[in-house]
Amino acid sequence: MTDITANSEADVVDAVRAAREWKSPLNIVGARTKRSFGRAAASWGTVLDLSGLSGIVAYEPEELILTVRPGTTVAEIEALLAAKNQQLGFDPADWGPLLGAPANAGTIGGAVAANVAGSAAVRYGRVRDHLLGFHAVNGLAEAYKAGGRVVKNVTGFDLPKLMCGSFGTLGPLTEITLRVFPEAPLSATLAVTGVNAQTGLTLLRRIWSSPLEATGLAYVAAESVAAIRIDGAREPLAEKLALARDLLAGHDVFEIDGGDALFRELGSGAPFLDTALGVWRIAVPQASAAQVAARIAAPLWYADWAGGMLWIGMNDTDLHEIARKAGGHATLVRASEETRRRIDVFPPEPPERAALTRAVKAAFDPLGLFNPGRMYEGI
Amino acid sequence: MEFAASDPSILARRLEIVAALRSIVPDGVVADESGLAAFDGDALTAYRQKALVCVLPRTKDEVCAVLAYAAEQSVPIVPRGAGTSLSGGALPRGDAILLSLTRMNRIVEIDYDNRCMVAEPGVTNLAITRAVQARGFYYAPDPSSQIACTVGGNVAENSGGIHCLKYGLTTNNLLGVEIALMGGERVRLGGKSLAQGGFDLLGVVAGSEGLLGVVVEATLRILPKPPVTRTLLAAFRDVPAAGQCVADIIAAGIVPSALEFMDRRCIQAVEEYCAPGYPRDAEGVLIVELDGIAAEVSDAVARVAAIARAAGASELREAADESERTRLWAGRKAAFPAMGRLAPDMLCMDGTIPRRALPQVLARMAAMAMDYDLGFCNVFHAGDGNLHPLIIFDVMKPGELERAETFGAEILKLCVAVGGVLTGEHGVGVEKRDLMPTMFSQTDLAQQQRLKCAFDAAGLFNPGKVFPTLSACVEQGHMHVKQGRIPFPNLPRL
Repeated sequence: MTDITANSEADVVDAVRAAREWKSPLNIVGARTKRSFGRAAASWGTVLDLSGLSGIVAYEPEELILTVRPGTTVAEIEALLAAKNQQLGFDPADWGPLLGAPANAGTIGGAVAANVAGSAAVRYGRVRDHLLGFHAVNGLAEAYKAGGRVVKNVTGFDLPKLMCGSFGTLGPLTEITLRVFPEAPLSATLAVTGVNAQTGLTLLRRIWSSPLEATGLAYVAAESVAAIRIDGAREPLAEKLALARDLLAGHDVFEIDGGDALFRELGSGAPFLDTALGVWRIAVPQASAAQVAARIAAPLWYADWAGGMLWIGMNDTDLHEIARKAGGHATLVRASEETRRRIDVFPPEPPERAALTRAVKAAFDPLGLFNPGRMYEGI
Repeated sequence: MEFAASDPSILARRLEIVAALRSIVPDGVVADESGLAAFDGDALTAYRQKALVCVLPRTKDEVCAVLAYAAEQSVPIVPRGAGTSLSGGALPRGDAILLSLTRMNRIVEIDYDNRCMVAEPGVTNLAITRAVQARGFYYAPDPSSQIACTVGGNVAENSGGIHCLKYGLTTNNLLGVEIALMGGERVRLGGKSLAQGGFDLLGVVAGSEGLLGVVVEATLRILPKPPVTRTLLAAFRDVPAAGQCVADIIAAGIVPSALEFMDRRCIQAVEEYCAPGYPRDAEGVLIVELDGIAAEVSDAVARVAAIARAAGASELREAADESERTRLWAGRKAAFPAMGRLAPDMLCMDGTIPRRALPQVLARMAAMAMDYDLGFCNVFHAGDGNLHPLIIFDVMKPGELERAETFGAEILKLCVAVGGVLTGEHGVGVEKRDLMPTMFSQTDLAQQQRLKCAFDAAGLFNPGKVFPTLSACVEQGHMHVKQGRIPFPNLPRL
């Protein structure tokens, strides 16, 4: 079948209605920058292209609220916000190049669907902490909405959380409302050099457990460096840096230029760009990070979120079990199609949890029309 | 508010049900009239109803056994923490087992290395902070009932508090839960790691008002206590100026840890009550609290002061020491009892509005109060637009409860009309249940109910809450039939 292009909510409803009629699944895409992320299924169905369903619906800088259509690029949103000294709080990372797609092309719908948050998520939370409301179309071809357009809202179930990281399997979004944040006036990055993983990660947790509210806490194994980004106005920033240096006493600490660029690279998996390695992200309790990394002994790895997120470059190894045993979970972000046939992309679920996943899927998409098999078989 | 009649087939089996629960939790069943009277409602005091029976398990296994029995017998369950819900989330039903989690009150683990704590559902909110404060940590969500309200209730209601402007609601401070499902299975969602795999089911359990499952354990994020906290009071002679001040603070990129507004009526009531020293001639006062490291707070205090002056503050002062700070807050925290003194009964509403709509909404509310001839005042978490109009009335005076409820409903409809929502932190419960259609279409509500069905196909968890009409769970066009019973056999099917 040829691709379906949707430029309006009505187009999306029509597409879903047709899919119901023909019992033909839809493969929902935006800028197609994450197509290689997910299980290798024979087919996710007819392409439903939402890249034309784009544009800003409402931006209210004083309210710190932004409503956009899903096909709007993250780059366009960032430029719009930057003009008002604001930013997306979840630090959107650009995974395009890592996944073999162009840079700066990804859409906000894709960022929500894949729950892509960068280094500053350690301070401000992930996409799920920022999506306030949405409009979508369910598997009955009905347009509906959930959440709201204010930051504080507990009216009804928090469906926005559920949409984040559901990879389109619960249906196409047609409108997205996010909270936005003021940009930090200044930021500085400290590098602690010559530290092994155990020490580096312990130092990062020390900063994380202090009131410094660091917006980047990464350990880069290849360089034996712990990097710490701190935000603030001029004087407060100086005081924070002095406090951080106190907490890092006894180690070699340098203030480095280009900290923002460094964290942007780490958040987008750039260190793996020129390698042929498979790329895993493993969420673990922070204090387990060094041990898990040592057990995996990957040729290339680093840790973000004070150790809470390990980026691992490694081929032909299934890391799900090791992650589960550490109290976390693994996701295979980049791998060949052949590998993704053999190794689960998303963490396997225990039976009682898998039953809930199936029931939730059916609640939104009873006929299994949306990206079937992209996350789990039958989902 | 209309309540569904109790299911006579369940009432007829009451003795049998009580006996079965006694065999599961021998020392934790309340079935006598006077005992049940202690559990006959929550903080939505206008409604009282006795439970069929109340059971107080001590362990996860006992919770699961109760749920397995309830599922098998098709008896509804109303989960209950401390019973502090302001929306009637824990209001019992005559044909439902009230499942009180307050005896499961152990802190299971404090894990400073991972900055989190694992707690049973009956641990109080304040006990979390108390357990870690000696080491310089605290738990951020701080609902006003924090001395009594429980972790399980906080998760169910996605509770907020004064400081959620900066630190988020419960859902933003919750790493994981273990829930027990109807039928007695247990599922872990999330854990100690920052992200969870698969669907974000943790995110929908938070704030699900006891409709999806029972929280039997929660893993909570603890935060390092900020070293410096400073508190300012700014008084304004007109409401729009106060509203402008709030808007300017937020637009300047300042994130106060609290930003509270009280209107003239509230100021006068609390001055009569505990004399916190607010200027009596003000139309509104703002309390602005800033926390963080010293230089950062100094910088923010200076900027807030400049913004308040520019917005036309008639008075601006900073608490010089801890006792003055406590006094400034005493007025805000006394808003409830101060208003409560003026009449026997009170309704606390909870809409959220876009901040810019504040002057318009306050003016409209004052006009409505005249129409309804009821006393009210406004306290407002101004930073995030969360209004708490307090309506006072006397339930003994014929028609006053109905008038107060109608006034409250009109306020919430106004919140929705200006782009806001029905509830910012108290939950829908029974209180706002019938207003849901003002915010959501039938399609929107049906989608939410399908999620409910995914967790609880028989509709046994907390029926009558959140959704105005009960629709049977339908799978692929067929009604869900479990063990040969259709859900809610006593309901008419049209």
